Amino acid sequence: MAGTGKAHLRDSDDVLIRVENLVVEFPAGRGRVVHAVSDISFDVLEGETLGLVGESGCGKSTTGRAMMQLPRPTGGSVAFDGVEMTTLGGEDLRRMRTRMQMIFQDPVSSLNPRRKVKDIVAEGLSIWGSTIGTFSTERVNETLEAVGLDPEIVSDRKPHQFSGGQCQRICIARALVLDPKVIICDEPVSALDVSVQAQILNLLEDMKARYGLTLVFIAHDLAVVKNVSDRVIVMYLGKMCEVAPPDALYRSPAHPYTRILIDSIPEPDPSKATEDQAISGEIPSPINPPSGCRFRTRCPKVQDLCASDEPVLREVGPGHYVACHFPNEVAVSIER
Amino acid sequence: MSTVTFRVVRDIGGDDVSTPGASGMPLLQVENLSTAFRTSRGILRAVDDVSFTLDKGETLGIVGESGSGKSVLVRSIMNILPRTAIIPPQTKVILEGRDTRRLSKAEAKHFWGTKIAMVFQDPMTSLNPVKKIGTQITDPLRFHLGMSKSAARTRATELLELVRIPEAAQRLNQYPHELSGGMRQRVVIAIALSCNPTLLVADEPTTALDVTVQKQILDLLETLQRDLQMAMILITHDLGVVAGRADRIAVMYAGRMVETADTASLFRNMRHPYAEALLHSIPRLENPSHTRLDAISGRPPDMVKPPPGCRFAPRCRYAQDRCVTEPPELLTTNEPGHSFACFFPVGTPEGEAALAANLAAGMSATGLDLHAQAVS
Repeated sequence: MAGTGKAHLRDSDDVLIRVENLVVEFPAGRGRVVHAVSDISFDVLEGETLGLVGESGCGKSTTGRAMMQLPRPTGGSVAFDGVEMTTLGGEDLRRMRTRMQMIFQDPVSSLNPRRKVKDIVAEGLSIWGSTIGTFSTERVNETLEAVGLDPEIVSDRKPHQFSGGQCQRICIARALVLDPKVIICDEPVSALDVSVQAQILNLLEDMKARYGLTLVFIAHDLAVVKNVSDRVIVMYLGKMCEVAPPDALYRSPAHPYTRILIDSIPEPDPSKATEDQAISGEIPSPINPPSGCRFRTRCPKVQDLCASDEPVLREVGPGHYVACHFPNEVAVSIER
Repeated sequence: MSTVTFRVVRDIGGDDVSTPGASGMPLLQVENLSTAFRTSRGILRAVDDVSFTLDKGETLGIVGESGSGKSVLVRSIMNILPRTAIIPPQTKVILEGRDTRRLSKAEAKHFWGTKIAMVFQDPMTSLNPVKKIGTQITDPLRFHLGMSKSAARTRATELLELVRIPEAAQRLNQYPHELSGGMRQRVVIAIALSCNPTLLVADEPTTALDVTVQKQILDLLETLQRDLQMAMILITHDLGVVAGRADRIAVMYAGRMVETADTASLFRNMRHPYAEALLHSIPRLENPSHTRLDAISGRPPDMVKPPPGCRFAPRCRYAQDRCVTEPPELLTTNEPGHSFACFFPVGTPEGEAALAANLAAGMSATGLDLHAQAVS
């Protein structure tokens, strides 16, 4: 994997976000550099949900944050609705960000414990309301109702009086209140119980339909990502492995790493208890990533070529791209 | 204290099928375990009259949402609750013939670690950040088993190798922050196993980890358990985690055990609507994307004032008038070892009729809007 390349970029009028050659590096002291995201490109169409999936340390959250310019990427471009974000500064950038909101993994710690729910949700409006002309208590109440909270009951409470699932609803309300075009969801359900997870995933789908949102959904659980996404990118150690529509990705994963991710999901059916081998070892250090394909150190199909040449994304099925020298056969016949 | 009332003993799940251990009795016997806490709002009944047994080498999966009482249950078994906890005298927790609730302080000190050990959810907070890994593994060896410093260090290296940590000897000199989450959890497991416990309690051991690492850790626990012939209690909120791994599963809701059976029969004949709802809320890979998930609406009840009837009734699609007023008992079915507490069980004529009546009316007896749930 370790794929670069742009074969998967779409040439469409509906492209809302186009990320090209995105590089994010962090200094690690003593002249060393953490290669968090290394030269990845992708696009998101208007109204689409893009899933980013991979293990901890694969750069999926960094990618999401770099799209928001939090922090600014080391290199590459992020074009949002035709505007280049990486060169924007000050007020222009802040104004742009009102249209691109974020939801985080831990709903409890992403809410200020000392503030009331109505103030938390109204924060964006109280800053921007006068300029976009929509500040009103009604707007706050309407948003709280939309996410399934009763404004009468919750407005004057503080975050500690709510469960994790309810806090995540508050976070979603806070993101929605400025009427954004895009919401970047960074592991929004991984801190929640399965029963609450289902509620939040359903809510996100409802909100997407109601407000015409475009979502970037980041998670480590492929089953969750598959449920909400229109297109999935599998990432590993700052690179892209595979890009595909979710159903094709599950039916015939082309990249060995995708196969492993699918096999890792615990199946709630004892008759299907798999004897699959768990992936061996740990994700290598992003300070000194392997040459060639970055997945080669853990790949069951590794060859000499993988160490010398970095694979480039290429099409293996309709809308299905893989960066691997020796991909699994893609069942194109079933694809249709 | 007098305000706390506890229900009469009924069924002990799985007692009639459990094959006796080597000594003719189960390894762990929990009878009428109830735990309550005094809070400013009143008495909070976290665990309410739970009974079960566990044999040597057996794995019991305890499944339920946050707040279902599963963690308090195992902490009661280990006797590591805060002093404010109220446990009534009829509660018995017998491990290898000893009642853990009646151990003296001196006895209890060595009971933990050598008989029963625990792995917690968050491997970062269960390790001491300012002590080296080596010290943290050798401490129990020296304290419980009286090993010499050098013997303990040799054993610590062996333990790290046992949990498949590469370069074990060098790791002894590292601090927890130098390891990844998965490696830290392996260290926690190594510490738990250090004194050869007969029962390992794993409280959400993989919830904080990635799916790939989760599989590694669960596979490791399974292998170690088999090799060391330990019994294990595996707590999780995800039925998928226990499906292929536990011998028996107990589903808990609002402090009570609502269904228990061996794993195969639970998944074959799931009876309790809550167990079914938990299973259906898991996103399945084989479903096409954008499949609407069957979320359980609402939240678990306030345990200071639980509903008088079945505690799941307010969220249950099957609920009838009887469920609102009368609490169902945990009763054994004709299938040995399979018990559940429900008047209108899933997959029975009563249950089907109850669901059909509720669907026709558009709502359950508790006012749960079934139509909205299906559409919204």
